[in-house]
Amino acid sequence: MPISEILLAGASERDLTKLEEYHMVGGYAQLARARELEPAAILAELDASNLRGRGGAFFATGKKAGFMPRDSPRPKYLTVNADESEPGTFKDREIMLRVPHRVIEGSLITAHAIEARHVFIYIRGEYLTEFEVLRAALDEAREAELLGGVTLVLHRGAGAYICGEETGLLESLEGKRGQPRAKPPYPAITGLYGAPTLINNVETMATVPKIMELGGEEYAKLGTPDSTGTRVFSLSGNVVRGGNYELPNGTTLRELIYDIGGGVPDGRELKAIIPGGSSVQILTADQVDTPLSYDAMREAGSSVGSGAIIVIDDRACIVQLGLRVAQFYMHESCGKCTPCREGTRWMVQLLNRIEDGDAEEDELDLLLDVCDRILGHCLCPLGDAAAMPIASYVDKFRDEFREHVRAGRCPYGGESSLERVFAPVDQHRGHPTVEVAT
Amino acid sequence: MSVPELVTVSVDGREVQVPKGTGLVETALAAGIEIPVFCYEPRLGPAIGACRMCLVEVEGMPPKPQAACTLTAQDGMVVKTALTSQLARNAQNATLEFILVNHPLDCPVCDKGGECPLQDLTFRFGPGRTRMTFPKRTFDKPIPISPTISLDRERCILCYRCTRFSESVAEDGELVAVNRGAQSMIATFEDEPYRGRFSGNVTELCPVGALLPTTYRFEARPWEIQTVPTVCGLCPVGCNVNVTTREGKVKRVLSRNHPDVDGGWICDKGRFAFGHLGARDRIVDPLRRQRRRGLQPAGWDEAVDEAERLLRAAQGRIVTALSGSETVEQAYGLAKLMRTGLGAHTAVLPEEISDAVDGFRLPLSAIAGAELIVVVGDDPVEERAPIVDLWLRAARRNGAEVVTTGVGGGAKACRQLAGEDDELGRRLRESDRPVLIWSGSGGAGGAHVAACAERLGFGSKPDSGVFYLPLTPNGRGVVEAWSAASDDEGPDPDPIGLLFVSGDEAASDPSVRSLAERADAVIATTMFQGSAVGWADLVLPGTSYLERDGTFVNLEGRLQRLRRAVVPPTPDELAWISQLAGRFGVEVSPYPSVVFGELSERIFGGLPYGEVGERAALRGREPTGELRAPAPAATPKGRGLRLVRYRPLFSGAAVERVPELAFQRPAAEVQLSPQDARRLRIKAGDEVDVRSNGTSRRLRARIDKGLVAGVARIADEHAEELQATVEVARA
Repeated sequence: MPISEILLAGASERDLTKLEEYHMVGGYAQLARARELEPAAILAELDASNLRGRGGAFFATGKKAGFMPRDSPRPKYLTVNADESEPGTFKDREIMLRVPHRVIEGSLITAHAIEARHVFIYIRGEYLTEFEVLRAALDEAREAELLGGVTLVLHRGAGAYICGEETGLLESLEGKRGQPRAKPPYPAITGLYGAPTLINNVETMATVPKIMELGGEEYAKLGTPDSTGTRVFSLSGNVVRGGNYELPNGTTLRELIYDIGGGVPDGRELKAIIPGGSSVQILTADQVDTPLSYDAMREAGSSVGSGAIIVIDDRACIVQLGLRVAQFYMHESCGKCTPCREGTRWMVQLLNRIEDGDAEEDELDLLLDVCDRILGHCLCPLGDAAAMPIASYVDKFRDEFREHVRAGRCPYGGESSLERVFAPVDQHRGHPTVEVAT
Repeated sequence: MSVPELVTVSVDGREVQVPKGTGLVETALAAGIEIPVFCYEPRLGPAIGACRMCLVEVEGMPPKPQAACTLTAQDGMVVKTALTSQLARNAQNATLEFILVNHPLDCPVCDKGGECPLQDLTFRFGPGRTRMTFPKRTFDKPIPISPTISLDRERCILCYRCTRFSESVAEDGELVAVNRGAQSMIATFEDEPYRGRFSGNVTELCPVGALLPTTYRFEARPWEIQTVPTVCGLCPVGCNVNVTTREGKVKRVLSRNHPDVDGGWICDKGRFAFGHLGARDRIVDPLRRQRRRGLQPAGWDEAVDEAERLLRAAQGRIVTALSGSETVEQAYGLAKLMRTGLGAHTAVLPEEISDAVDGFRLPLSAIAGAELIVVVGDDPVEERAPIVDLWLRAARRNGAEVVTTGVGGGAKACRQLAGEDDELGRRLRESDRPVLIWSGSGGAGGAHVAACAERLGFGSKPDSGVFYLPLTPNGRGVVEAWSAASDDEGPDPDPIGLLFVSGDEAASDPSVRSLAERADAVIATTMFQGSAVGWADLVLPGTSYLERDGTFVNLEGRLQRLRRAVVPPTPDELAWISQLAGRFGVEVSPYPSVVFGELSERIFGGLPYGEVGERAALRGREPTGELRAPAPAATPKGRGLRLVRYRPLFSGAAVERVPELAFQRPAAEVQLSPQDARRLRIKAGDEVDVRSNGTSRRLRARIDKGLVAGVARIADEHAEELQATVEVARA
């Protein structure tokens, strides 16, 4: 199993948080080279690499950068989305902790490519250590005069999932209530402070230096044609060796879960897999040979999303899982648009009743209908992210839902374990958020 | 101006041509199709797409419903609304189902019931029954967010219209959304009362019964009310309003959008001050002074006889003190009585009014499109003519620069602006769309600022404009009417045989009171006991602008129609003026339409009364004679600061009688420039003593960056007997 290291290359052997060590693996050499190049040449490399956004939406990075107007009289901004909050996802924190300079270097190269003089890294508020590591790296880079006149701002969020949505992030960065904006206008035209803004994920940015080093075409040979290169996959749940693994795209779930992750512990059976963070559709155990690539996952009816693979064994009650996921989205819904604000709460109410065994059979259809009425009707993707997984749980495990109705109680009773499957909502308590009544 | 490119859009199969970039909601409307909305309101800035009520299907876009409010018309666009698209129909039905999930459905006891957009749209686009079987979200309710507005968070559908108004129109930032998701709620910042000049507008923006005026709570149902379109008579803007009445009582005042005058906003004074109609001390019977027994109620016949007797006894030595709140017709009738009937030509107004600015006339809405705006004068614009402040804010948001200058000496500032080497003056000269606004006293009724504009070359620029903000609501109309009644002139009487005081504003003017001390007799018409009862020999009950029919001329020079919303508890002024005029052989009709007809022949170009429309047009620019530059004003002598008094918005006889507006009354404070504050070692919030000639007032200091050094600005009611020069020191 060849593990190609692009993002984390060199980080096992050296402490790449130190500028000195990062220099030894060729650090900032690509930035220096890129600054000699015309911005268009860098965009051409990005296009050739077919790098697609690692935040989960898979939009072609070069194409998005190409939307930035060339002749705008306003300043242009690059914003790096480090507000990693998707349940099950912890790859950006690994990247920031271990290769912070690569994030900075990639951001500076991209800033040069779009002729931006300002870079904002919006980092999740709970990521205090990551923030400190990044800040130390930034101080080193600034000291070494690597910023080249670019102002790089680290901005800490205050604990809202919605600020990972690009326009919610911009609002928050402007000091406003973190709520998404209506699109159009898109950020490339009217973004931060009304100026053209490019928003990229941390992992996307950290990939850029290696693309410059290898050349876009060479990079594109890694992975699969539709999903080039490598990703840092976050493996968690009922698996022996959870953690972050950098692998080429196209690696199958089986390779990741069994060969690398050591399989399901305690002799339990694999029941289901969530292949791309809490917001994607669930896969059943028989889909374990699906490759982690955009097209293959889409064919399987799900998505690689943020690259978070959550393994679920046969002890888990799917209704409880649905409840946990739905509670998260209800808690994180920003309250701006109607279907998400009202629908996520209704979903939780319905799932609670099903889990308690108080529901009627037709309430399963009502739950599906509520999901259906959220889907595609919301201002931003959060509502879809809540409705899609829940609908897939009902679709794929309808018998288990029905059993709750038939038996008048949860068939797993106290036996069900969601240990290690997403962080329980209770752990969010203690942060300055409101108590959510259900 | 370039002709906008037209595009063809198909809405439900109906083709319609609209200018490119027209919003889809308006485009559909042009095709005769309504796309339902809750959050969409173009006056609040760019669409936010929050409520999801306007979902439609657009061909060629992703196969999911699109929010019509955030899209604009493009050529060849094919739009299907709920009329023809199952996708859109389902989506709109879904939105309403979600909105109703937590809405209390207490329509039978909700004041909005019957005129509620949520109710209407649910009937047309929503589900007939609910599938929600869980407890609804509950909140404490209703919460008074101010003495005038109550908030019901359960009814709130979180469309964010109110917070957007607060943030992007009034720019007070006091109304905010807190918490998130299903627990989101509207609140005031830090739970302080919503204290602003325009707060009441949110009760009209609210599409449900969440924000309601406390004064309308349980007062009427929509099928019991009548609506009278009129104009507000409390300041010179003349906002267009609809007055809601029930059984002969005013229940509320709503805006009646005149896009050129008020843009559909009204201030809280205009909205809530109607309570003065039923004030406890309202005079409903004439009062006649009888020796030893003081003022005693009298019958109308007796009162008119007494008035006739007093007028005759004065033998023409009469001074008429006008308020500037009379209708044009009242003022003309009174002028005919006094001038034609009695040869008494002397009148005083609380302020000077000139027609000089008419040569630079623009609609108020043009301020929003101006490039450079210079406000000259001592008074805060929002205190004199509040809606003008909203236009200034709109202008600033549109990229205009707004400069306030001349505080502490407007005439001097004008001379300086018009001078050769003034930087601001040079930029005004160069701008295509400059606007000058005079806000304060000492402006010679607009003559100073008009002269300044003339010298800055405004005359040749059609998009330039000059506004003078008078103190009185209809001062301009009153002056026009008074001078139209006669061409004769006469000497000022000395001694004064009779002082005729018309209205509460004149009665509360200190200079009128000092005239009264010199007069042998005084007749006053006032609405309230407090105003003139102590010193008049005959008091005739007055009426309010809400009780009169007639016309007003606003600060733009726009002639607007006042309609009687409710019948006054006493005959109106024109009725007894007509009667009294008859005693002196002068014909004055008791009907405003007839009086206007006569006057219109003289000064309004024969415009028929019926054509002073509900949405009055603005007259064109009227060239004025030679404009003289202002003479240098006398600078006060002595050390200390020059006292600038201003009349606050929330003051005056009407406001004082409305308990709900008491919280809006101006704080007892003195405004100082940062320079003076530093020099005097005074910090914001400090208690200070303001002294002049032996009198002293203890006030709180406020630092205002807009003030120039050397000035202390105090609201009239807190300045009281202070002199022109004051000393300020920390207490």
